[in-house]
Parts: sequence; structure tokens; C-alpha cells
Amino acid sequence: MLGFKTKSAADRAAFEAQVSPWLDTLYASAVRLTRNDRNAEDLVQDTVMRAWRFFDKFEQGTNFRAWLFKILTNTFINSYRRTTREKSLQDESERQSVEAQFFSSDVTDRAQNPEDYLLDRVMSEDVLKAIDGLPIDFRMVVILADVQEFTYREIADILDVPVGTVMSRLFRGRKQLQKTLLARENTETSPLIDLNAFRERKKLG
Amino acid sequence: MNCQTLDTELTPYLDGELVEEARVAVEAHLASCATCARRVEVERHNLSVVRLAAQQGPRAPQALRDSVFAAVRADASKARRMRAFKVSSMAAGVAFVVFLGNHQYRAHQFRLYEQDAALRHSRQFPLEMRQPGPEEIEAWFGGKLDHRVNVPRFPHATAAGARLLQVRDKQAAYIRYDSPRPMGLFVFGDDHDVDVGSEPMVGSSLGYNVVSWREGDVVYQLVTDLDEHDLRELVPGAHGTQAAPLDDVRPGTPLHSTPAVEARPASLQR
Repeated sequence: MLGFKTKSAADRAAFEAQVSPWLDTLYASAVRLTRNDRNAEDLVQDTVMRAWRFFDKFEQGTNFRAWLFKILTNTFINSYRRTTREKSLQDESERQSVEAQFFSSDVTDRAQNPEDYLLDRVMSEDVLKAIDGLPIDFRMVVILADVQEFTYREIADILDVPVGTVMSRLFRGRKQLQKTLLARENTETSPLIDLNAFRERKKLG
Repeated sequence: MNCQTLDTELTPYLDGELVEEARVAVEAHLASCATCARRVEVERHNLSVVRLAAQQGPRAPQALRDSVFAAVRADASKARRMRAFKVSSMAAGVAFVVFLGNHQYRAHQFRLYEQDAALRHSRQFPLEMRQPGPEEIEAWFGGKLDHRVNVPRFPHATAAGARLLQVRDKQAAYIRYDSPRPMGLFVFGDDHDVDVGSEPMVGSSLGYNVVSWREGDVVYQLVTDLDEHDLRELVPGAHGTQAAPLDDVRPGTPLHSTPAVEARPASLQR
């Protein structure tokens, strides 16, 4: 019967010890996925609870962090995405050849200019905001690759998509991210003043 | 390899995801093409800037950390209770008889926990770690026990250090305090064996006062030679509005006082 095979106190201790080091990264990723602290907390809570329920299915010695993130992204996709009404790319463009759109000329044919150099002092807040602005499928691979530093193979396993898809989403996601950041850099000559102006606007609004 | 085919390789190249052969081909091209070399340099720079900034994400709030594991614990003990229930319902008749003796039995068991804590404290076992900070002590116990050890913040007491000890059948965290008086605090996980609630109860054993209270699945027992008056200062959370339900069986009674809330041990503040 479901749930009859109960876990021991030692199982629970092992589980807590294994999950604990990854709570910060789970939460940081959940915030990027949900773009909302409150929902991020719920997402982490659900993720850990599901991980606990399936803990006996986890093969000890294999990649626990990747296993946790698979649960995180699945949980997000199943419950949270439904409510956020975000459109998936999967349906439209990805039915066509991944390769064809991956290397389409619009994003790749121009040479890189020196102006495309991101400033070293680009604010973390801006980058995070720019990530939040990405469509969900791009956002997921950027989070997994650039925030969590998973390999393509691991990301493919986590998201259940081919490695080629991981690569193409990452390529396009990063392009879009850079474009946003460069545009911001070019319009903001003095980020401090703009930040204050932003706060003022927020207050007024 | 030429400028166009580099496109298909650039992302995996920057991520170190190319096989050796492909990587060598890319590098050969970069060595001969200044435009592409420049482009790769910009891309590499931008990627590292983005990565560095993106990794400055928020940390999990402590409240989330606590509630996540509290939920797991609740789930775990629910599962155990379910199992216990199934077993006991098979022997419902027996269970009923046991129930009648249960109160007395549990009170007696509680006395044994008090006694054992007092006994082990009196033996002055050597400490395994010697640092006074509650955070250091909590960190030291991290992963050693199957529950999180929250060290109560007693405003006037200074810890000498800590070690692992048993209280009867329970693996416990033991924290020793040297001032204002020698005291020992036991913290151990317990589902239902120890009959104590969240309100601190004072009993005595082997010449010590033993204050016991519970926080969820964790039981605290403070062994000390302070008298009840001083204990009230120290563990001001110990206030009771009703008499101990088991007065006739053991001498334990709730402490009576009306303390300032902020002076309660952190573990009792919710």
C-alpha cells in the first residue's frame, strides 16, 4: 500500500543532511523561476516535501543536486506555471528543426563590437531582473547553466529535452540577456541616480 | 572551421562542453582569425560578468529552512503513527487495557528521563567542543543528530561547550554552562516517549532540579542546581496556569511566574 513502507528516523536525518546544503540554491532558483518571494518559498517547500516522499527512489551515490533540481523544475512546471500563464516555446518554434532556428541569421550574423562589452560593474540586481524578463524556457536553462552551473547533459536530464535543445535555448537566452543588459547600460549613464529616480517613480506610482 | 561554422561551436566552446577534437579546431581558427578571436573574448567576458552577477542570488530565509524541515518531520511522524495505529488496531482489546495504565506508565517513564539526565550531567563527561557561542554549538551539532539542535538563548548564561550524550535510549546534544552556575542542557528528538508539553516543568532528581519542555519533536532537559527562584530568572518561559496533571505520581510542577516575553529562550519563541 502506498506509504506503508515508512522511512526511519535515520532516513530523515540523511535526507535533511543531504538537502540542507542546497536550500539556498534551490531558493535562489525558485525566486528566479517564480519571480516572487512568496511563491518561491511555496515552491521550495513543495519541492522538499516531494523529494522527501520520493527519497527512497533516489539512488544514493548519484547526483543528488541534479535530482533535487529535476523535482524543482517539474514542480514548478506542473503547478506554478499553470497559474502564471506563461507561454511555452515548445509548442511553436521548437517543432521546427532546432538547428534551423538556433543558427538563424538574426541573432548571429553581426560581428561583436567593442560596445558590446558589458561593464564589470554591472549590477547583480540588473542581471537578475534581466533573467526574470526571459521567456520561461530560456529562463530555465539560463538558471541551470549560469546560476547553478550544471552541464548540458545534466540540464538535458533535468528538463527532459535533448542536449541540442539545451544548447539552442542557452544560446538564445544569453543573447537576449546581453541585449537587455547592453541596452540598459547604454541608457543609464549614472545608475545610482537612475535607481533613485526609479524609487521615486515607484513611490509616486 | 571558418567564421560561419564557429557560430555553431561558440556556446559549447565557452562552456567547455566541446570534445577535445572540436575544441582544438576552434582554437586553431581563433589563432588565425583576429575578428573571431576578438568576438570570443567579448563573449567570454560578458558571460563571466553575467554568471558572477547572477550567482549573487538571495539566500533561503531561516523561517523557510525551519518550516521545510518541520514539514518533513511532521510527515515522518505521521507515517510512524499510521504504522503504529495499524499495529495497535489489530490488538484493540489489548490496547484498551494498556490505555488504563498509560498515564501512570508515562509519568514513570518521564521520571526515568529526568533521572538519567541528572545522572549523566553529574558525571561531568569531557566536552567534545569548547566554544560558548550558540551558533558555533548549533553548527557543531549539524548532521550529528537526526534533528536540528536549536540552542536556547539564555540571556544570563554562558556555555562552556558541548558533546553528544545519551539520555536513556535517546541520542542527545549536551550543552554545558559554567556560569552563573554549572548546568547541563540535553536536547534530543522524541516523538511521544517523553510526556512533556511546550510548557516547562520542573522536577528534581539526585539533588538537581530538572526543567523539561518540548518543542515539536524535540525535548529539552535542563539539569541544574539552581533553585526554583533562580530558574525562573533563567528559563522565564516557565509559567504555568494550571497544576501539573500528574502531581500525585511525581513531584514535578510547572513553574509559576509571569516573565517578559523577550527573555524566553529563543527555542520557545514562536
